[in-house]
Amino acid sequence: MTDRRRINGPLGGTSAPVFSKYLARDANDRPVRTRQPNVLRKMFLKTGVTPSASGSAYLELEASRPPKSSTPGLASLSTSGLKLTCTVHGPRPLPKSAPFSPHIILTTHVKYAPFATRKRRGYLRDASERDLGVHLETALRGVIIGDRWPKSGVEVIVTILEGEEDQWWGSGSNKAADWGMMSVLSGCITVASAAIADAGIDCVDVVSGGVVALVRDPLTSGKQSSAAIVMDPVPSEHEEIVAACIVAYLPGRDEITDIWVKGEIGSQDYGDSSYENLTDNAVQAALGSHRVLVAALKETADMKIGR
Amino acid sequence: MTSTAPQPTLSFPRETFAKLSPHPYLLAHLQPASAASTPTRANGRSPSQFRAPHVNNGSLTHAEGSTVVRIGDTTVVCGIRSEILLASDAAGYRVDNSPTTPFSPPNYNEAKELDLLVPNIELATGCSPAFLPGQPPSTLAQSLSTRIYSLLHSSSLVDGEDLRIWYQPPDLGGGGRMEEDEEDEALKPEVKAFWTLYIDILFISLDGNPFDAAWAAVVSALRDVRLPKAYWDADREMILCEDEVAQSKKLKLRGLPIAVTVLVFRAKEQKQGGDMKHWILVDPDTFEEGLCDESVTVVVDRSRRSTEILSISKTGGTIVGKDQMREIVDLAGMRWGQLSLPLLGG
Repeated sequence: MTDRRRINGPLGGTSAPVFSKYLARDANDRPVRTRQPNVLRKMFLKTGVTPSASGSAYLELEASRPPKSSTPGLASLSTSGLKLTCTVHGPRPLPKSAPFSPHIILTTHVKYAPFATRKRRGYLRDASERDLGVHLETALRGVIIGDRWPKSGVEVIVTILEGEEDQWWGSGSNKAADWGMMSVLSGCITVASAAIADAGIDCVDVVSGGVVALVRDPLTSGKQSSAAIVMDPVPSEHEEIVAACIVAYLPGRDEITDIWVKGEIGSQDYGDSSYENLTDNAVQAALGSHRVLVAALKETADMKIGR
Repeated sequence: MTSTAPQPTLSFPRETFAKLSPHPYLLAHLQPASAASTPTRANGRSPSQFRAPHVNNGSLTHAEGSTVVRIGDTTVVCGIRSEILLASDAAGYRVDNSPTTPFSPPNYNEAKELDLLVPNIELATGCSPAFLPGQPPSTLAQSLSTRIYSLLHSSSLVDGEDLRIWYQPPDLGGGGRMEEDEEDEALKPEVKAFWTLYIDILFISLDGNPFDAAWAAVVSALRDVRLPKAYWDADREMILCEDEVAQSKKLKLRGLPIAVTVLVFRAKEQKQGGDMKHWILVDPDTFEEGLCDESVTVVVDRSRRSTEILSISKTGGTIVGKDQMREIVDLAGMRWGQLSLPLLGG
């Protein structure tokens, strides 16, 4: 459909380029997870990227290396990392027409950039972005001390510059569930938490996001493959993802503000895949990203006080 | 004899002065009371001093070309995705119009007619308190997108030939090439499809002068674009691409145009009154943009030694005349030298 307020592409419609490698589907090209199951990816977190906003932060997770194939390929076919930026505007007064509220009104917006995923996204918000926004709001609502700002609003805006994919590009067209969105949500929670702290909004604790997945990789010939729990999953590295769980965790109070579990859990075929086990592991993953978050916030605090 | 208590003097920090009375604040900087201090702007720069640019290419995985440009506090991310438009689907494509045929109309810009370059600017990312998401594109965003679009086409920056995907039909006939009839239309190479470049420009942070930063990001990202080798597969009847870097190609861009925006700051806030004291401020930030009405944007290219002016646009007032325009073009030429180093090196 033509959006009258933007410059539109050709009327006939364009299609994404199809690579001949995609049709050949060489399974040796699939990236393989080289980390231990309980090791997270290296995270880079920096605050203060948008000086005109009350608070801002930028998060980057490194991309996984492609396997040693013979010819180096174009970057567009390799696995992506995660690049998020978050800005916080507020607390600001609500418009006069808004009804009185004794606590602060939190509004979240999550938006994928058009070049963020393998399939180009449009400029209008779709259902998955609204979903992420609701989960992010749930995670942050329990952390902000809202009573200190009556009649005020705060806006948390997350822009996803590069997102996770749901499956390896060569897996063919069997529809995978939105596994990439789980890692993205975990990153969103961490980066929003850093931006809120940068804005100086009072919180009961620093919330961080952690994600784990129950994956099933084919073992060598014959043996029945069993599922294992891995932290910080990259969906394209695994043949099949059975379930995934993401939590927003407050380490200081040992509380969880948001849980999202997707997939088949509790089945006897997959070993100890109970709900409790998954969430315990997700909490451990959240503790890992909490360490990086606190180190980044300490740097910010030193810089602000030293100034 | 009554002694009056000394009146407490009212003094504010600088930021409060800037918010309460911005115009006198900037004027006091540009016209200092003591002769000893040099006139500067509120942000510490001289009126003809630009902010240092930083350019970083190729950081996004899924984009064919990408760049992050930081000019002071204005940060822009530009990603270019390429998609394929089949010639049979292209509205308005005629083989006779192609510049390679002998009877094509002059000044036919194929990329513009077929909408092969699609720039879009997104300001509503929370880059500044004035641009919050949840709204349709504002007037500023729409006008910036249109300016980038028209400059992109009028500067002929992208060569139309780079965007065409040719197909040479194989010679399936046997021998017997002696007759004239053998040389039929099917053996001439034809354009089977076009590359469409979606140029998406996102503002991470905005502190004035969005057009210059956005244009620099477009030029830098176009220089970074690597298009895969594409060919028409007659058996599958679709366009296939090759993944290898060695077979991909970069775009051949025509020159390196740079945009420079300046604002005119008047000593008095009223518009009337000739011979008013004024200052020309280059590379303005948000504070200065709120105080000035008149702006001039010049697009220059010095890649061929002499300063070529691609576009001059002036709105909002009558202070800038021929002499000031000459001065502005000289400043633009100097800025070209500054910006071309990171753009060509990256």
